[in-house]
Amino acid sequence: MDNLNEDDALDRRLRDAAPYIDDDGFSGRVLRQLPASSRARSPIRAMILIGMTLLASFLTYFLFDGGNLVNQVIARLAGLPMLWLLLLTFCTGIVASSLGLIAAISKTRQSAT
Amino acid sequence: MELTDADLIARILVDDDQHAFGELVRRHQSSVRGLLRQLTRSDLALADDLAQEAFLRAYKNIRRFRGEARFSTWLYRIAYNCFREDARRRKELVGVDEARWQSEMDPQTVDAGLRHDLMHALSLLPLHERSAVLLCCQNGLSHDEAARVLDIPLGTVKTNVLRGREKLKRTLAAWGSN
Repeated sequence: MDNLNEDDALDRRLRDAAPYIDDDGFSGRVLRQLPASSRARSPIRAMILIGMTLLASFLTYFLFDGGNLVNQVIARLAGLPMLWLLLLTFCTGIVASSLGLIAAISKTRQSAT
Repeated sequence: MELTDADLIARILVDDDQHAFGELVRRHQSSVRGLLRQLTRSDLALADDLAQEAFLRAYKNIRRFRGEARFSTWLYRIAYNCFREDARRRKELVGVDEARWQSEMDPQTVDAGLRHDLMHALSLLPLHERSAVLLCCQNGLSHDEAARVLDIPLGTVKTNVLRGREKLKRTLAAWGSN
């Protein structure tokens, strides 16, 4: 019993002997060393993506005869038999789903590490 | 209402909120720096460098924190690993402590100003006992939590705490009798 009391007293003394350490700029120093937040990076990323999309759209429009290619493709698709159209839609769906799944798995792995 | 550690961690995970991480640093800096100061035997500059490194690692690996243990326990583990890696680099991890403790146990060799100084007595303990005593007796971790932090079996932690306490009592008694 005495031994337990002695242990308790010693633990109390140990806790009392550990003073609170003032921050004194420590947190600020840590925060300054953190890598840039993804929030801060995201506007630049968004601007690059939008810029690239607009550039690609303009290039496609001018290189393919002012969008005439799109008209031709739609006309060709409209002329396809129904079965072919269904098959094409199904394959496009499979490809899009697979790409989405791959992106989701890759994002999960990134989060886990 | 004050946000819990879990709320702050959720903000970091969802919004990459560095202010939330700053709040976590402010909350835990004293205990982490205190632990490292004791482990480094009051080398304040080294302790603060290691604490800084520990918090940076915590931020980079925050997604690995599963919430199974307390955030402070997880943080202590990172801090202890930083200390161990640094000690290994400095080749000071083992061998020196026990001999130093034995020599300084002699009350005649102890500086009068340091007598009755519990923290000095603590610094004389070998590293494995000092770490266990610091975590369990001073920082209030359970034996199980300390075992996780130190990455050693539960039984070893209990033995180290027991031996560390006994040595502390003997040292303080020896200093007190002079």
